[in-house]
Amino acid sequence: MAESLSPTTSSPPEHDRRLAPRDAFEWAFDAMAARQWQRAARRWATLRVVYPDHPPVWIQAAVALRELGSHGEARQLLAEARARFEDHPGGWVQGANTALADGDVALATRLLEEARQRFPDDPPVWVRSAHLAMATGDRESALRFNRHARDTFPEWAPAFDQHAELAMAAGDWDAARQRWAEVRRRFPDHPAGYRRAAEVEERQGRPREARRLRLAEEHGVDWLEQSDAPESAVVAPPRRRDGRNFVDLVWTKARLNLKSEANRNHLRYLWWVIDPLLYMAVFYVVFGLLLHRGGEGFVAYLLTGLVPFQWFAKTVQHASNTIVEGRGLMNQVRISPLFFPLVAVVQNAGKQTLVFLMLAVFLLLYGLPPTVHWLALVPVVLVQLLLMVVVGCALAMMIPFVRDLINLVPTGLQFLLFASGVFYTLDTIPERWRDLFMANPIANLLHQYRLILLEHQWPDWHQMGWLTLGCVIGLVVVILAYRRLEGVFPRVVVE
Amino acid sequence: MNGRVILSARNLGVRYKRRGGLLRPTRYHQAFSGLTFDLYQGETLALMGRNGAGKSTLLKVLAGILRPDEGRLINHGVTVSLLSLQAGFDPELPGTDNAVLSAMLLGYTKSQARACLNRIAEFSELGTFMDEPVKTYSSGMRARLGFSVAMFLSPDVLLIDEALTVGDRSFREKAEREMSKKIHSLQTVVLVSHSESQVDKLADRVIDLDQSEHGHVH
Repeated sequence: MAESLSPTTSSPPEHDRRLAPRDAFEWAFDAMAARQWQRAARRWATLRVVYPDHPPVWIQAAVALRELGSHGEARQLLAEARARFEDHPGGWVQGANTALADGDVALATRLLEEARQRFPDDPPVWVRSAHLAMATGDRESALRFNRHARDTFPEWAPAFDQHAELAMAAGDWDAARQRWAEVRRRFPDHPAGYRRAAEVEERQGRPREARRLRLAEEHGVDWLEQSDAPESAVVAPPRRRDGRNFVDLVWTKARLNLKSEANRNHLRYLWWVIDPLLYMAVFYVVFGLLLHRGGEGFVAYLLTGLVPFQWFAKTVQHASNTIVEGRGLMNQVRISPLFFPLVAVVQNAGKQTLVFLMLAVFLLLYGLPPTVHWLALVPVVLVQLLLMVVVGCALAMMIPFVRDLINLVPTGLQFLLFASGVFYTLDTIPERWRDLFMANPIANLLHQYRLILLEHQWPDWHQMGWLTLGCVIGLVVVILAYRRLEGVFPRVVVE
Repeated sequence: MNGRVILSARNLGVRYKRRGGLLRPTRYHQAFSGLTFDLYQGETLALMGRNGAGKSTLLKVLAGILRPDEGRLINHGVTVSLLSLQAGFDPELPGTDNAVLSAMLLGYTKSQARACLNRIAEFSELGTFMDEPVKTYSSGMRARLGFSVAMFLSPDVLLIDEALTVGDRSFREKAEREMSKKIHSLQTVVLVSHSESQVDKLADRVIDLDQSEHGHVH
């Protein structure tokens, strides 16, 4: 505005420097959008002076005045608008609105009748006509006018809105629901189709459906249809994880852990062969070649003890901290805490098969070929597995409560290494200590391994029986303890 | 709500031990106590409350992960699961393995998990990345895979902790759409949220843990 006051008189002429009417009207429309009717009325009055030949300055001014309650003034402006702009329906439509607001039904009816004749192609005329008919209680005419609007202007949303609103006004909720669905189908981006439909559902006491419709306004009509359809994508999990699923899970997790472990190295699975090979080679060089200790066959004696012992030690060491390490998962999903140590046992057993294979090759080369007694390795290995399950699970269970215990595990295993006769033979132990020595389950198991592999004898079934019994009792105790502690671990591990 | 009661909490209370030493007496942090309410079939219940009010803890109790210190939880024969994203993910393993493992941890059988794999791959939009180790993923891609796995979880009661912020914008919109759909299917949902507007949009009923300390639930 300030520009037009500038003193320069050179071209372009002042007339062309004025704002385009459309841009100038923004000024007043802004006030209307903010529902500041007083300000809007003043702005329209101002604009009327500059742009008297444009319909909005009359018609919109009247709207603002009507909102302010100045019906008389509004009517005058609208009458003026009708006289000035004979081909503009606004004067009639707003005239009817104002008349209706004033309670002057006769005038409103007359104006809209005129409007329908003069502007049959103007959608608001028909919608207003239907509105007026409804206001005067003439539902039939209302529907007739509305149908005309819908049939003639199928692209115009307000006509369809009105169709649904008419049903709502009449209290015909089923029709209203269908009609709002029609609105959504035709005009998926039109908010009323969701919001007013939600109100219908609320009236009908279906708050859930109402919320779904409101959400659909955000997510679109496709979402609504998809969520109508029965969900085919989801699969219900079984009620409870049964034993088979649990075993499956432990097995899968152990297998994937091995895969993951292998992925960490360049040589991958080869390490599982190289590692024990190096290990055996060291003992062979030190004891077999350098020290010549223990006489003939000592290397074989050493390795047949060392290999099963290492299996035990690695498994227990690994399993003992698994529950503490599993705290993240344990707090996310409901899972038996037994899962964690058992995975460690299975995982180490997987690696151990290769080590046993290497041991077999070594024994073969060493001149101790397989005999029928090797069959007895199956029960011995099974008992060792059972023992590792019991010890591993028991330690894993205790360590969350007494964290300091984890520091004692390596020392304990070291002690066990020396107390189990890995480096010395049974006959070096005084007779009276032998029963006590054999009460150590590891020493006992190593003895059985050696009976089979070195002496080519069957294991001592009597001792094996006792060992099994002890392990089974231990297993029952451990399982009972885990049952009791199942809901406690997730908290203890994070405390 | 007119559905049947499927979970009942009676005077639930949970407290956490604040670590003391051998010599210091242990002190406790009471997350909540005396909490009594029923969960009805098909409803969406929102849990609100300040940090530390015990919202997540309550979800864990409902899921059967934690055992409450006081009171009891009665399950009238339904499956309850916490929606956990990226449960048990191993960064060294490819997306496919992680998806199967995660689904199994969430309660599926192995065959169910395998059967879902194609749909998970499709929904996550990861394409050939499914066969790459997860450690090569961006955090957004990882979140997408996690969400896609969890998406197929459909227990009777689904527990959702906090708003799910998943991946880039377009995927987040997709995730929200799916989540809203899930909440509005017949499933019963308990969700934790800080956002009043989200609660208004999604929930039938609200439990405010700040105000329910004396067992009052509204």
